[in-house]
Amino acid sequence: MHAQELLEQVPTVGRATTGAEAARVLAEYRLAALLVVDDDGDPLAVVPGSQLLGIVLPRWVRDDRRLAHVYDEKGADEMCGRLNRSTIGELLDESRLTPDDTPSVLPEDTLLEIASAMDEHHSPMLVVRDRDGVFHGVITMSRVVAAIAAAAGQDSDLIRRRLEKDIILRGTPEQSGPTREAP
Amino acid sequence: MTVAAVVAVGIFVVAYVLIASEKVNRTAVALAGAAGMVLIGAVRGRDVFFSEDTGIDWNVIFLLLGMMIIVGILRRTGVFEFVAIWAAQRARARPFRMMTLLVVITAGASALLDNVTTVLLVAPVTLLLCERLALAPVPFLLAEAMASNIGGTATLIGDPPNIIIGSRAGLTFDDFLVHLAPVVVVLVAVFVGLAWVLWGRHLRYDPERAESVMALTPRETITDPTLLRRMLVILGLVLVGFLTHNWTHLDPSLVALLGAGAAVLASRMPSEEYLAEVEWETLLFFAGLFVMVGALVHDGVITVLARELTGAIGEDYLLAAQGILLGSGILSGIVDNIPYVATMAPLVHDLVGPGNGLPPERQSLWWALALGADLGGNATAIGASANVVITGIARRNEHPISFWTFTRYGLVVTAVTIGLCVPYVWLRYFGVG
Repeated sequence: MHAQELLEQVPTVGRATTGAEAARVLAEYRLAALLVVDDDGDPLAVVPGSQLLGIVLPRWVRDDRRLAHVYDEKGADEMCGRLNRSTIGELLDESRLTPDDTPSVLPEDTLLEIASAMDEHHSPMLVVRDRDGVFHGVITMSRVVAAIAAAAGQDSDLIRRRLEKDIILRGTPEQSGPTREAP
Repeated sequence: MTVAAVVAVGIFVVAYVLIASEKVNRTAVALAGAAGMVLIGAVRGRDVFFSEDTGIDWNVIFLLLGMMIIVGILRRTGVFEFVAIWAAQRARARPFRMMTLLVVITAGASALLDNVTTVLLVAPVTLLLCERLALAPVPFLLAEAMASNIGGTATLIGDPPNIIIGSRAGLTFDDFLVHLAPVVVVLVAVFVGLAWVLWGRHLRYDPERAESVMALTPRETITDPTLLRRMLVILGLVLVGFLTHNWTHLDPSLVALLGAGAAVLASRMPSEEYLAEVEWETLLFFAGLFVMVGALVHDGVITVLARELTGAIGEDYLLAAQGILLGSGILSGIVDNIPYVATMAPLVHDLVGPGNGLPPERQSLWWALALGADLGGNATAIGASANVVITGIARRNEHPISFWTFTRYGLVVTAVTIGLCVPYVWLRYFGVG
């Protein structure tokens, strides 16, 4: 199986998207990572969900993890309000993530090469670009794992469905059809 | 001076300028300078490792290493965060009371730990408290950086320059406590008053916001109470070891290493974890510095300088002490006080000899050097490592402190604290008897 057969269209966010909106997209589509694109729809970065949590955490808690324990429930909930004040662009700037850092594979790469790239970059999402740099779509961890399971003889209806339908086509659990334009 | 001595001075000056400029990694500069000294033959290979006067001062290196391991394990207990939040709640979250307690805690902790570790621990808690109170954290962070430099002056282990002075002069932990701690207590009290004038009177109290500080649960920071108890016992024993040097004759470096060993056993921490707490770069920086300064001693440069100075001051040690106090205060604000003291220590040694057993007026030069170098570090944002760390933390948390903001307050604090040391040195070593 090659990367082009595992291509997927996923909902995207831009630099101006707030942390709260990004969290909603992650939750609605059960994504493990966010694809951030520019105005032309070209990928700027892949942000793992765990990194998005960094927006919720104040810097001082990231500097000293024990301080996360001292907030009461009310204080902790207040901290989550920070998601509305921060944008994905700020997160990218702070993380110094650039388009060059975006983990990518070629359309003709094999399953093993895809798995290797995900492992190397610790990224649950890869961008697929051809040799001319043209963006084709993304590959998500869940689809790679489904392909690995199928290749290993662990086939099932759910696995087949997972390999056939994009996240964006499956929609949210409450919806049956597509919800937004793919990049 | 010989040609080798002139070349050695050239290497030293270039390295010093590069370190002061902070454009190049200071450890790389110190090691390159040391390599240059070895290559031109300004210092012999055997002396680098085995000479007390012209080689690496292993007492300093191993004292730092031992304390880094102890503090690295102790900080994982969460005790510092607990104390800071507890103090804020004791102050009922009233801003200036809170600032006062944080200043006293920072100064006290800095006397026992190195200043950088102290501010690294207290700054995140301060940011949390200020966020809860909707207060600008910059005045608190400035006060803490300066308090750590003042508090660190009190003991042998409080500030790296003191460790160098203690080792080169043969002065003990007790000597530092007797000669510097009393004046530091006064300086901390005066600094609290200054903090009121500079920042405290502008702070506003909001009872509603204060409630959010009172709702914090500091006990939650203590994740391993057993380890905390063990570490407090070990830290106490290490301090006893420092204090009883006159009876045990155990060097501070050995006490620190024994304490570090006990801490490792008590924590059962894997070696890669506690070794990660060691600032190897700092230790290498010290090693490089010692070799560079040792080359100047070996080639007679320091002796020539000392002879010139002796000719200038004659027997007027009061003038010499005040000159060193004020000169060190000024220079330490401009250059890192560690290389400054590493250079000055052999010079003072040549002027008056080792500190232990000297008449008070001669010994005063050593104490003037410690006071000037430690307190002078408050003058600018680059005067001491703690200042650099605090300004870095402030910038990362979107509360940048500009060089001039720091310096505006730092110059006032330095002028007042060193100004108070002038009569202290005069009265204590020259005025009585």
